[in-house]
Amino acid sequence: MEFHRILVPVIGAEADEEAIKLACRLAKQDKSEVYAVYIITMVRELPLDAEVESEIRKAEDMLNHIENLAEEQGCRIETDLLQARDAGPAIIDEAIEREVDLILMGAAYKRRFGEFSLGEVLPHVLKNAPCCVILYHQYAEFTSTKDDQ
Amino acid sequence: MKVVIMGCGRTGAQLAGLLDADQHQVTILDTDTYSFRRLPPDFGGTALLGNGLDEESLRKAGIEEADAFVALTQGDNRNVMAAQIAKHIFDVPKVICRIYDPIRRELYNTLGIETFSPTTIFSQMLKERLET
Amino acid sequence: MYIIIVGGGEVGYYLSKALLNEGHEILVVEKDATRSGFIIDELGSVCVRGDGCEAATLAQIGTGRADMLIAVTDDDEDNLVACQVAKHKFNVPRTIARITNPKNEAIFKKLGIDVTISSTNIILEYIEEEVPTHPLTHLLTIRDKGLEIVEVKIPADSTTVGKAVKELSLPPESILSLLIRKDQKPHLFTANTVLQAEDQIIAVTTPESEEALRAALRGT
Repeated sequence: MEFHRILVPVIGAEADEEAIKLACRLAKQDKSEVYAVYIITMVRELPLDAEVESEIRKAEDMLNHIENLAEEQGCRIETDLLQARDAGPAIIDEAIEREVDLILMGAAYKRRFGEFSLGEVLPHVLKNAPCCVILYHQYAEFTSTKDDQ
Repeated sequence: MKVVIMGCGRTGAQLAGLLDADQHQVTILDTDTYSFRRLPPDFGGTALLGNGLDEESLRKAGIEEADAFVALTQGDNRNVMAAQIAKHIFDVPKVICRIYDPIRRELYNTLGIETFSPTTIFSQMLKERLET
Repeated sequence: MYIIIVGGGEVGYYLSKALLNEGHEILVVEKDATRSGFIIDELGSVCVRGDGCEAATLAQIGTGRADMLIAVTDDDEDNLVACQVAKHKFNVPRTIARITNPKNEAIFKKLGIDVTISSTNIILEYIEEEVPTHPLTHLLTIRDKGLEIVEVKIPADSTTVGKAVKELSLPPESILSLLIRKDQKPHLFTANTVLQAEDQIIAVTTPESEEALRAALRGT
């Protein structure tokens, strides 16, 4: 299996790092391009194009960190920052626009109301992706039950 | 006192019975005649089939001469609308409205409708009972 | 404009689709999970599941910055409450409610809703236009001024045929605006215009004096 254009949605979780490392490994092998995209989910109280300083700074730090990580792996990646109401559809739109053939994303181990949960973004991506999806599922022992999103 | 009650659930029926026993003139409205089974057997007031959101039904229930109107259906929004019709269209001197949702209750209180939230009252009561 | 639509039924769905096409920011609030899922699948991230009458939901979706809230659920009382919460708690400048019972129009207006739309009345207006013998047809309502533009036809057996406008006792709020006569260009009225059978008259009036206008023009 070969992938030429890989999209890595960055959500700010620990699994992101592993996802980007994995993407770099694939990229080196297939000489493919990697795009890391951070999506700021904008609350409805604010217009979609509102500039929330703290969010933007957090996103930029995260993207810088990811870029450094990739460099350490000997891989140059392209990064981008998006604002959307819901991350799921934004990831799909981005995948279509950039004509990627792989979405590679990290999934954190979550619990919601005491039950294992994939959240809302991942099922949307899996359901609507126009290409292959690789999910990196970070193993972690449950420490908290409050961790829902 | 002449009172129109909308909604013959447990609370509505019991209130109607109490007021009737105290010699008040009571008319109770419900959209389902089956609800009137809850009224006490010796109820001396009037039970009317009708929708309290409909001006005609309210007129038939004697809202124009009523001293008080109480909205007690299961629907918060229905209660709120009927209460406002009673207050602003028919100028009923005393209008009381049940609203389960505490936030909505607060809003309509500030809009001049006397409101009660069983949710707030009951949970507060339970808390006090648990803490003593 | 940021427009919130309460109720994602057929009306809400097509309305949001049309408003999206006009380039507005739209958010539909729909209670039913299947229905809200359908709207999201069809139109994108423009729907949240929730109760549009609940202040907590409305706060979350940023009702405070909304330019307009349109309540189009099937229940008049829900539409009333959604509009009132939007208006009084979030200061939304314009609220529009769909009503099913035409009698509620006056009540809603009195309770502070800016615009009400009654599908029953709209259908009635169309029926009036389609029925040729109808004495008076509503053409347009100018709601905020309390005026309406109507059309009155003069049948051949009217007692007013052959009378001049100055001889008619028109209600003071009414103005005869345009006379449409067979095989002639439409023209304006003068005090001396004499009514003829089959005249079509376009007039401005108030809902209250509508009946008086009809009587004055057609005789009783």
